[in-house]
Amino acid sequence: MRDDTVLVIDDEPQIRRVVSNALQSEVARVLEAATGNQGIDLANAERPALIVLDLGLPDRAGVDVCKELRKWSSAPIVVLSARHSDQEKALLLDTGADDYITKPFSTIEFTARIRANLRRAQAAQLAAQVQPMTIGDLLVDLNARTLRRGDSSIHLTPIEWELLRTFVTQAGRTLTHQQLFNAVWGRAFGDPQQYLRVHVANLRRKIEQDAVRPQLIVTEPGVGYRFEMPR
Amino acid sequence: MRRPSSRWVPPWLFWTLVLAAVTGGMLLLRDELDQAHVALVYLMVVLGASASAGRAVGIGLACAGFALIDFFFQPPYDTLTIDKRPDWLVLIAFLATAAVATQLLARARAEAEAARRRAEEIDRLSLLGAETLSVGRAEEALGAIAHVIRDTIAVAVCEIFVRGTARDIEVRVTGAGHAVAADTGDTSRELVAWVTANGRVAAERPDGSVFRAPRPPNENVSFDLALEDARALLVPLIVHERTVGVLRLADTEAIALDPPQRRFLAALSYYAALGIERVRLVAEAEHAEALREADHLKDALLASVSHDLRTPLTTIKALAHDIAFTGDERAAVIEQQADRLNRMVADLLELSRLNAGALPVRRELNAAEDLVGAAIQQVSGALNGREVRASIEWSEPVLVGEFDFVHSLRILVNLIENALKYSPADTPIDIEVRRTDGMLHITVADRGPGITGAERERIFDPFYRLIPGVSPDDGAGAGLGLAIARRLAEAQGGNVTYADRIGGGSCFTLQLPASSLEEAETVERVHD
Repeated sequence: MRDDTVLVIDDEPQIRRVVSNALQSEVARVLEAATGNQGIDLANAERPALIVLDLGLPDRAGVDVCKELRKWSSAPIVVLSARHSDQEKALLLDTGADDYITKPFSTIEFTARIRANLRRAQAAQLAAQVQPMTIGDLLVDLNARTLRRGDSSIHLTPIEWELLRTFVTQAGRTLTHQQLFNAVWGRAFGDPQQYLRVHVANLRRKIEQDAVRPQLIVTEPGVGYRFEMPR
Repeated sequence: MRRPSSRWVPPWLFWTLVLAAVTGGMLLLRDELDQAHVALVYLMVVLGASASAGRAVGIGLACAGFALIDFFFQPPYDTLTIDKRPDWLVLIAFLATAAVATQLLARARAEAEAARRRAEEIDRLSLLGAETLSVGRAEEALGAIAHVIRDTIAVAVCEIFVRGTARDIEVRVTGAGHAVAADTGDTSRELVAWVTANGRVAAERPDGSVFRAPRPPNENVSFDLALEDARALLVPLIVHERTVGVLRLADTEAIALDPPQRRFLAALSYYAALGIERVRLVAEAEHAEALREADHLKDALLASVSHDLRTPLTTIKALAHDIAFTGDERAAVIEQQADRLNRMVADLLELSRLNAGALPVRRELNAAEDLVGAAIQQVSGALNGREVRASIEWSEPVLVGEFDFVHSLRILVNLIENALKYSPADTPIDIEVRRTDGMLHITVADRGPGITGAERERIFDPFYRLIPGVSPDDGAGAGLGLAIARRLAEAQGGNVTYADRIGGGSCFTLQLPASSLEEAETVERVHD
């Protein structure tokens, strides 16, 4: 993992410096770009393992840059945002960003998120193929659809199974309500989208040790949910 | 249609002279002329007179002709007696023919005149219509209307008063050669105000008295009463049953209005009213445009303040974090204060957006335990070992409500943070969720000192700080938390209330509209 390259696209030199410093001990090389276009060119030339993208760029809207990158790159995109608009965050994730961090952020939080995204990018698909898998004190077999905690078997409804599968295969990634709905129901529209939250609440009651202190399915307020794979 | 000669000779004199000349001529030939010839010649004169000089002259000449035929041309000559019966017939036939012809001619003349005036009115109205629509400034448009009214009604002064929303407009058009007061008097101004308020006609008399129309049974009656010896006439300008201005006509003579002029005045008044209305609408549109622009500006300002402040805060936090590794403990304080500054900026921005009604609220179906879980997760960093106990009914189905998740989370986090801040460190915080009367009640209870009676409502005021003992250094915000919390709750159809806790302490309750889950279960079954 130490030979990874991370690209930072941000017009503020101070932020670039802070981010570079924070990543110095995490990755092999940090590239910096001050504009969206420069960032796209650099990403094209260097093929970084992860891209940190600031939304307040002078030349292009962050969503545009995100879309452009997603056309040919599958590298995780972590967005830095000063705006607290949740719709905007959801839109970014829907257009292909993998995660976002709201300014001001702490260095610890930032590096943790970068690490998680790098790890997930390399390991996510691999992990989901190995069945059954251990998640904390749970034993899950997504193929056989069995879920056990110790000796007791836990019953999940079909929708809850689909939810769990989506979460587990994309662990560490913030999934928007829209993305979850598409994955579980296979449709991009419809009122039942609202009930997604109820299904998540039910699933939590079954798999979390304490449903009001969820450790596996973490709520991203106004955006969606993220599945945290316990270490 | 008058002959040019009428400028020097009155028409009736001219035609009397013609009659005399014709009579004299025929007298010379009296023996060769038949009575019928004489009658025909006179008839021609009468017709000519009525055609050019009007009915009165025509009838007069007809009577004169009747007498002249009898006197000069019917035997016995030079007397008014008649000896033969058929002679009467000629005379009567002459008179009847003359009378009927005169009458017909008069009517035709009147109709032609009316048609001409109507055409003139239409010309002026169309001109005016074009002007009111094309002229940019309000004063110019109203000035054009006042000009046309003054010329048409033939008065010395025409004024239009408009009580505007932004400013009052007064237009005054004075005819040349008229001696008129340089300014409108106080009495007149008072009367203008009265007409504006009541939407009725008024008039000023030469003796200084004024006439105010009673609630009008009929406009014409009001006009008749108003016009008795009026030196100034005030007409309300009404559009959509609203008085938008007052038209004032003034003259040194008594003002007289014949029916066509009244009709014209009514039409013009309406034009003036429409013109004023248009001016008002334009002003309103400009005002709305300005407001929109100000709104955009404010949004842009909020966005840039939020962005520009957070970027340096990020740098400060990150650098403080780096410094902390060198062992300098002050770095932790810097980081803490940066967080506090960020919270205060966020609070101020949020309050200003709430005040402006610019904060969007997304009411969606949400689970209560999701909200409580997210709140506990968010405060978990600041717990320092404090215990937060959550009690939720674990019954099926889960408790749900229609609320904005992000706003509600912010409220709940604020309530929990307050509870942590204002209660002893060794006491737990209790969170309880219930559903009562269609509302979700999420209660945050602590074992702090509680809140005394007088302060119970004031704690929800912006910038109000509860306990003087808690210094701002302890990480308190700007005193906006509860004010924002209550407003955010109200924006979703909920509320935040305070109650004393049994056994001591505070008990804050966030109420949110509850929802039913029947439909959700149906959906689940369909997909099973």
